[in-house]
Amino acid sequence: MADVAMEEAVPAPIAPTMTRREHLAKTFEAYRSELDEANERREQIIIRSRAITQLSKKLIFHCHRGATAPPAARAKNLKDGRDKEREIHANFVAIRAQLAIGADDGGNENFWQFKDRITGGLEEYIEAYTFLYYLETKELAPLAELQKALSDESGAPDYILGMSDLTGELMPLSTGDHDVPLAVCSFVRDVKLIFDAIPPKMVPKLDRKQEETTRSLEKIEKVCYALRLRLVEFGDKPEVLKTMAKRALEEANMAGPEGRE
Amino acid sequence: MAAPASVEATLAAAITQMEADATLRKTVKEATEPIEEITRQATAELNRLHSASSDKHEAIANKALEIVATAHPTWVEIAKLIPKGEFFRYQFAVSPLFKSLVTSIAFARFILHNELVPAFTAATLMGLTGEDVGELQLSSDDYLQGVIAMVNELPRLSINSVTAQNFELPGRIAAFVNDIFASYSMLNLRNDNLRRRFDSLKYDLKRCEDVVYDLTLRGLGASKA
Repeated sequence: MADVAMEEAVPAPIAPTMTRREHLAKTFEAYRSELDEANERREQIIIRSRAITQLSKKLIFHCHRGATAPPAARAKNLKDGRDKEREIHANFVAIRAQLAIGADDGGNENFWQFKDRITGGLEEYIEAYTFLYYLETKELAPLAELQKALSDESGAPDYILGMSDLTGELMPLSTGDHDVPLAVCSFVRDVKLIFDAIPPKMVPKLDRKQEETTRSLEKIEKVCYALRLRLVEFGDKPEVLKTMAKRALEEANMAGPEGRE
Repeated sequence: MAAPASVEATLAAAITQMEADATLRKTVKEATEPIEEITRQATAELNRLHSASSDKHEAIANKALEIVATAHPTWVEIAKLIPKGEFFRYQFAVSPLFKSLVTSIAFARFILHNELVPAFTAATLMGLTGEDVGELQLSSDDYLQGVIAMVNELPRLSINSVTAQNFELPGRIAAFVNDIFASYSMLNLRNDNLRRRFDSLKYDLKRCEDVVYDLTLRGLGASKA
């Protein structure tokens, strides 16, 4: 309850000079301002969250372009990617500032009030962030790393869901040099294995995402299979192998139902 | 390339955190059970208004308020479970209870004082007061939804009071619902639950006014509150 509402509401007995309706009009002004304030804040946050989603999608495409670029261009691509990531990050800072207005705990409490409005952008950002992080380090970005990046409480479920999307982004990478598919394959397999062990009730949307991951994994496994066979035949010709991998992925994509992308 | 161990360790941290969250959510939900019982009792007590003669109404309303007032110690227990700054994360567990208690309190206070209880008073009456209830708070949204649920009960009371030959109450009810409807019209509602519930007020108002019309037509129910 806002402070205003309390002040308005404390003198409970109806003043004799005021009708009940007039008295109600006064108390309802306080409710109205509380609702309006929350609505205003919600709108602002939704706008930011949408911006985050859009920019994150762009960053993911940017990373894809880099991953398939010649090695010389990759470093620059990663650096640009980092800049873009910082740009998205600025939106989170803005949201945090929005949440902190009128709060004495830095907006922590408000974060949970508007969590549902933030979660869409957050998930997409985590996907982009972990993708970029993977390309930079070949590692899975730890939850703590992301929380540090956001300096807030991006929840574990968002992390898990963002991570689940990441496996889909990694799939096209498997057309890279011939050791990449095998590494991606084992990475995605690990993620799937661990996610399978999570009780479905804990992360509501994980079920569907796991299906996506399974599809991605099957495609990558097909690529690896084709690659292994070709490796025997053309082990001394990396250019041929790369083309083979690309073709294998295209075939896998044709065979299965459409993945995300 | 990521070694399997690193993926596993990384995700293990996230999963541990989720498990802890899930456990706490469950604990908070369980801690609300005594209040669920209180809401059931208060609702049951107030349901007697529909059948009891009007001279019993005051006692019933007082009894309901007494029941509701016993909630305080449970709020304190719930507040202890909720980590600092995370009230809204657990709001899902208490919000339905807040609404239901507001409904009962507003109902009782209308019978007793012919008033719409303000949110602050409603919070006090349900024991949501003092330092020890921590961050638990009755939002305007919960309050406003709770009040509408009370109004939803009134057409029935209006009809039943006529059956019990209490011709004064329907007039009081209609005037009350009218005032509430006018007050809600002041709010800027967006397309959410509160909005949908607000739409139901119109029908309640109409039903209450229809009863008054039926009485007036027959020269009954003289008093207009």
